[in-house]
Amino acid sequence: MTPALTWRWPTPNGRLPLPLVSGVLVLLCALWLTAPIVEIDFVHLMGSIGRMATFASQMFVTPDWGYLPQLLAKMLETIEMTVLSTAIAIILSLPLGVLAAHNATPHIIVYRLTRDLLSLMRALPELVWALVFVSAVGLGPLPGVMALAFVTVGFMGKFFAESIEVVDHRAVEGVRAHGAGWLQVRWFAILPQALPDFVGTVMYILDHNLRAAAILGLVGAGGIGYDLVMSMRLFQYDRLLLIALSIYLVVTALDRASDRLRSRIIHGRWK
Amino acid sequence: MPTISIRSVSKRFSNGFEALKGIDAEIRSGSFTVVLGPSGAGKSTLLRLVNGLETPTTGEICIGDETVNGRNLRHIRSRVAMIFQQFNLVDRLSVVTNVLTGRLAHRSWIGSVFYLFRKEDIDIAQEVLSRVALTDKAWSRADKLSGGQQQRVGIARALAQQPKVILADEPVASLDPISSEEIMILLREIRDQDGITVVVNLHQVELARRFADRIIGMNSGKIVFDGKPEHMTPSVLRTIYQREGIEDDPSLDMALAYA
Amino acid sequence: MVHDLKLGRSSVEPLPPKPHNLIPTWLIATLVILWLIVRDLEISFETLVYGVEDMAEYFSRYGQPDFTHLSRYLALMGVTLATALWGTMFALIAAFFLAPLAARNFTPHPTTYRIVREVLNFMRAMPDLLLALIFVAALGLGPLPGALALGVHTSGFLGKFFAESLERVDQSVCEGVAATGANFPQRVMYAGWPSILREASGYTLYILDRNVRMASVLGLVGAGGIGLALHDTLRLFDYGQSAALILVILATILIIDHASAWLRRRLT
Repeated sequence: MTPALTWRWPTPNGRLPLPLVSGVLVLLCALWLTAPIVEIDFVHLMGSIGRMATFASQMFVTPDWGYLPQLLAKMLETIEMTVLSTAIAIILSLPLGVLAAHNATPHIIVYRLTRDLLSLMRALPELVWALVFVSAVGLGPLPGVMALAFVTVGFMGKFFAESIEVVDHRAVEGVRAHGAGWLQVRWFAILPQALPDFVGTVMYILDHNLRAAAILGLVGAGGIGYDLVMSMRLFQYDRLLLIALSIYLVVTALDRASDRLRSRIIHGRWK
Repeated sequence: MPTISIRSVSKRFSNGFEALKGIDAEIRSGSFTVVLGPSGAGKSTLLRLVNGLETPTTGEICIGDETVNGRNLRHIRSRVAMIFQQFNLVDRLSVVTNVLTGRLAHRSWIGSVFYLFRKEDIDIAQEVLSRVALTDKAWSRADKLSGGQQQRVGIARALAQQPKVILADEPVASLDPISSEEIMILLREIRDQDGITVVVNLHQVELARRFADRIIGMNSGKIVFDGKPEHMTPSVLRTIYQREGIEDDPSLDMALAYA
Repeated sequence: MVHDLKLGRSSVEPLPPKPHNLIPTWLIATLVILWLIVRDLEISFETLVYGVEDMAEYFSRYGQPDFTHLSRYLALMGVTLATALWGTMFALIAAFFLAPLAARNFTPHPTTYRIVREVLNFMRAMPDLLLALIFVAALGLGPLPGALALGVHTSGFLGKFFAESLERVDQSVCEGVAATGANFPQRVMYAGWPSILREASGYTLYILDRNVRMASVLGLVGAGGIGLALHDTLRLFDYGQSAALILVILATILIIDHASAWLRRRLT
């Protein structure tokens, strides 16, 4: 007996289903064809493990403690950019979110237009906008905050709209039945119901923006990113280590905090 | 020779609830035993201990001459199949694949992680599916079947393990009377034809009386009756079903009258 | 009725004392903090206002996109897409093996669970551009370090998402498979992945989408793709070419966005 007969898949004919096989084949072909473009070269990759190890060992140097005050200042700036841009984005996204939710929008055309606007705003990464804004208003945290807020509105408006779309429509009808006006319905019936979702979205966006703010300095838009690139270019690994560590710590701290907040909201012990 | 020996087993859960309070029992090879008792009597815990899904707090359980412990779980489970109240099938896999999961313990993981099975395993699956009369549903997804059909897939999975023992934890509690009847007849048939030891948890007195060789009555973690079905008198039933702390329970007589 | 109500007004019971409403306090505190932040970042609104005035003029410079090098841009975009694809593939493979270890109901040991969770957290916390910088230093310029950076960063994401989906798999299904004597890889392959296949493909598409966005800026740190070209043209104040590049990126991202949204809809 050939192996093909002794081993089989649990399908009517003992072979893999055709759609699965063709799907995997298409994916493998795509990967195989793009491998030279991405310069995937496993020999090169294996060969560079040595260099990676050397690089990693260089990272483990005595940290440059003298750099600490500047690091803290830059880290603070990064966090401030995150908070400010998220706050601006919340203010702008709330009305846009209402307009982009099909059960709260005044008109279907407004709905479509807002949706398209939001999708355009979030299409390009923050860094591209940061590049553009730096050219427009000069170096510093301002273009960074603008870029972050701009892209964040695109995401937050969409998330807000989606949480508005799933609110319980019975409460909305109840308020409407009492003769509440257009804005009153949205303010008293829709927003309170969507609020827990909003908080979850804001925490998620804060998390994302913190990571993004940490690298905007790359193009001169403020935050820790500039120091990060410079210490990399100047081979100041004693600083690089500190920077990477501080980014990790701040991101993890925020992550833990938002996890706890989320589970508190879900379990209803919201104070 | 006893197949399952339960020696002074007790189980206390981490929340402090004592489900079993010193159980001793020997279950003979090739017997059909029904464990009878109200909900919360510890029947499920007992079965789960035998399969190693829980570990006893004190005492030990032996299958043949092997003690159930963390190291030999795979071997024990390959010989002790389990049937669940909620069927516990993988919804998104086909009926055949669900049945073939019964072969996993007998095969190394290398082929099985690619869903590759030997011809003989497929043949076993085919055979057990025809025994539970589900050949025509072989390629349906498990969640497309009715409750009774899903439980028959559960039995087919257990049979595919070619076990020495089948444990069934409330196998008919989620089913209508006709499907319940079918499932019990099937289990009895398995015991009669294959000589597999069958242990079934039930709370329906009437089914227990009709199908069992031996009935073990449990109440609040203790064995309160152990004997043949014909020895199960109304007074025995009262001890099995009496609620803790209530000596004279008028609702009990009514319930038993219709049992 | 009205008469009755009016009559009763004199004897209306007073409301119980109002519970402390903390929202105004929180709101004021938030505003104060935001104001302090604005002060600290030295954001002057004059700059912003002048900036906005200039901005209109500034953006008008992007008015005439210069598509003379379109074929080169498309080739660069192709490299970017390939980088994103490979990055997602790396992440998918890594997450496939790491996620079951990081799911509480599948993990072979609680210590393994903690360690793998921590590793995934670390990968998620490192921004991909930082990783790209490191990989460029180690591997040299080109798309490969970019793909690796995307892979490492997003395997943190995918691993966490997959692990959380696996933890939502019904306990009874896991027990059903475990009770047959299946071992760890078999439990994962029979009770785990089939149950979450749909969710997991959705997450993977979402990550692919995100990686295309990120890959288009990875060029900034020398990790290949279209980002570097954009960086260069912006530096040279070549607005026509910059506009063309931005349009190419925008179009691609919108196409991928719609394609993956369509695929996700079909999956659910």
